[in-house]
Amino acid sequence: MKRPASIVLAVASCLSMLGALFMVFVYVPTEADQGIVQRIFYFHLPCAWVAFLAFGMVAVAGALYLWLGHKIWDDLSYAAAELGMLFCTLVLITGSIWAKPIWGTWWTWDSRLTTTFILWLLYGGYLLLRAFADDTDEIARFAAVLGIVGVLDVPVVIISVRLWRTIHPAVLLTRQGEHGLQDPRMVATLLVSLGAFTILYVWLLWMRLTTLRLRTRLAGLRREAAILELVGAHR
Amino acid sequence: MLEGFGPILRKDLRLELRSGESTVALVSLSVLILVVMVLAFGPGGARRAEIAAGALWIALIFAGTLGAAQALLAERESGCIRGLLLSPVEPATIYAAKLTVSMIFMAEAGFAVLIMLVLFFNLEFGGGLLRLVPIFALGMLGLAALCTLLATVSGRVRAGAMLLPVLVVPLFTPALIAGSKASAAVLAGQPLGAVTTWLKLLFAFDVLFVTAGYLLFEHVILED
Amino acid sequence: MAEIVLQAQRISKFFGDRPVLNAITFAVSAGEAAVVVGRNGVGKSTLIKTLCGLTRPSAGRLLLFGREPTDLAGVQFRRIGVLLHQTLLYPNLSARENLEFYSEIFGIEQPAAHARRWLGQVGLERAAEEPVSALSRGMEQRLAIARAMLADPDLILLDEPFAALDADGAALVAALIRQALARDAAVVFTAHAPLEIAGVELGLFKLESTGLTPFDEGRRGALRSLLRRL
Repeated sequence: MKRPASIVLAVASCLSMLGALFMVFVYVPTEADQGIVQRIFYFHLPCAWVAFLAFGMVAVAGALYLWLGHKIWDDLSYAAAELGMLFCTLVLITGSIWAKPIWGTWWTWDSRLTTTFILWLLYGGYLLLRAFADDTDEIARFAAVLGIVGVLDVPVVIISVRLWRTIHPAVLLTRQGEHGLQDPRMVATLLVSLGAFTILYVWLLWMRLTTLRLRTRLAGLRREAAILELVGAHR
Repeated sequence: MLEGFGPILRKDLRLELRSGESTVALVSLSVLILVVMVLAFGPGGARRAEIAAGALWIALIFAGTLGAAQALLAERESGCIRGLLLSPVEPATIYAAKLTVSMIFMAEAGFAVLIMLVLFFNLEFGGGLLRLVPIFALGMLGLAALCTLLATVSGRVRAGAMLLPVLVVPLFTPALIAGSKASAAVLAGQPLGAVTTWLKLLFAFDVLFVTAGYLLFEHVILED
Repeated sequence: MAEIVLQAQRISKFFGDRPVLNAITFAVSAGEAAVVVGRNGVGKSTLIKTLCGLTRPSAGRLLLFGREPTDLAGVQFRRIGVLLHQTLLYPNLSARENLEFYSEIFGIEQPAAHARRWLGQVGLERAAEEPVSALSRGMEQRLAIARAMLADPDLILLDEPFAALDADGAALVAALIRQALARDAAVVFTAHAPLEIAGVELGLFKLESTGLTPFDEGRRGALRSLLRRL
């Protein structure tokens, strides 16, 4: 489609990601308590940010589809869901890798991880729906409604899970690092990483959206061909 | 605004009174799930209140998803939903009516399950059981709101009936957490005043999703 | 100038990639009647479903009473009566209960009396308390037509109303159509063979995969011997 945009995004993504990698592995100092493994936080949090951002986009694009009816909004919603699922999975994996050396278990039911897991399930449901169903207007509308309901659910999930965890203080595991970023270099690294992951997300989203739009266009051409065949056969 | 609500509700109740299919299916299913759970966890033990609460909610979730789908599926059979769509009745009103029918079905199942609880746990909960009622009512309303909105997936998608719980349960988790925690506390003898936070959460959940369902239903009910 | 009740402008419908309706342009005014003839599977049912606003067209524009279907307030649906392939009747309710229910949701006063009157009009008084599942196909069809017409709609769309009916049933439906036209309703129905209704000027149209075309006068003359008279 638009060549310049994809090139710009690709270059921006590569550069920002290289910058982030440099900062995470070379620039930022090692955290005192947790050691080297804490660096995974600079990937873990941005992935979570993207996962939630994408979910918001799924809902907003879905709402726009319901309102305006143009297929591109549905394509955007679907693309955002696929990428959101990817980044959400990365959050869970990086969270797990982080948890093992620090607390000795692969999984903790702390409030943030649990919320992310539920988000992962919501994504899963959305994608299963899309996978099982045909690509019709009906299904697109249903998916949009599902996305909207999902995004409305997220704040309630966050609140309920947080309440749930505070009632069991014995099992509560505080996660160091988010509020205790003492060194300004850590803050800088985090911000750069957030930026890099966001650009990466936008780039991937753009590419995926392009593919889906081509698919829509192909369907349109097939329909035109079917009509021409029909009219031609009756001559 | 809610014209047609009364006739649709009466019609559905009349149909159910005659065939009784949904009631029988729902009540049996929820009781069976409860039985399985009791057998799996054992009726005794110090954490009885929590097990009982958990078992109740699991039974109601699965029976509830089925029940709500049933309420809507009755229309699919002869394509009668089209009859409603081609009438002056607004889709949102259809939602309100179906939601109410689902709630009634779930209440039946809930009642049956509560009776089984009394039998299995030997009436030891006493007042706790009565205090369960508002908690369950709030929980079932939220579940019905979600299920009624998403139930159309059952008819339209391959393996749709299985997909419905997969979609609804993650969405329902906040209410499940709130409901089971409140239920466990109440069964352990605490008064309702001790669980107001959970009750408020349930209430907010219900308001949010009943409203969302009411506004969004027209988008899922229209045909291609 | 009679109100143009229904207007279809280049309406197409695709199921996936398959074209079912192709650029249908069609209009009908109050007091007019039209029959759309087509072989089985050509899309007559899809056409009716699209024209009543139930199915959204893939392309083109539909105007009902001068407005788009999505702009129609619920109230406007009172003016449309539809008969589909599916009867839209609840199998476990009696004939009377079905008509009462629909009378209620169409906002008709005294629904019970209204339902009884319509049962009489379609000759189903004796079967009034029978559950619909126990009715014969012909009786079900008559009940479904009663359901379509009970709100005295201004636009009546019927998908193959004469199918499954015996001579008496067909005469009954023809009479109902005449009645509707007499009060300036517009009637559009489909059939798989051309037919005539005595006393009614019937616009004849042919539906093919390539589109909707009127039968021209010359061909109509030749068809007269083939026409089924009602």
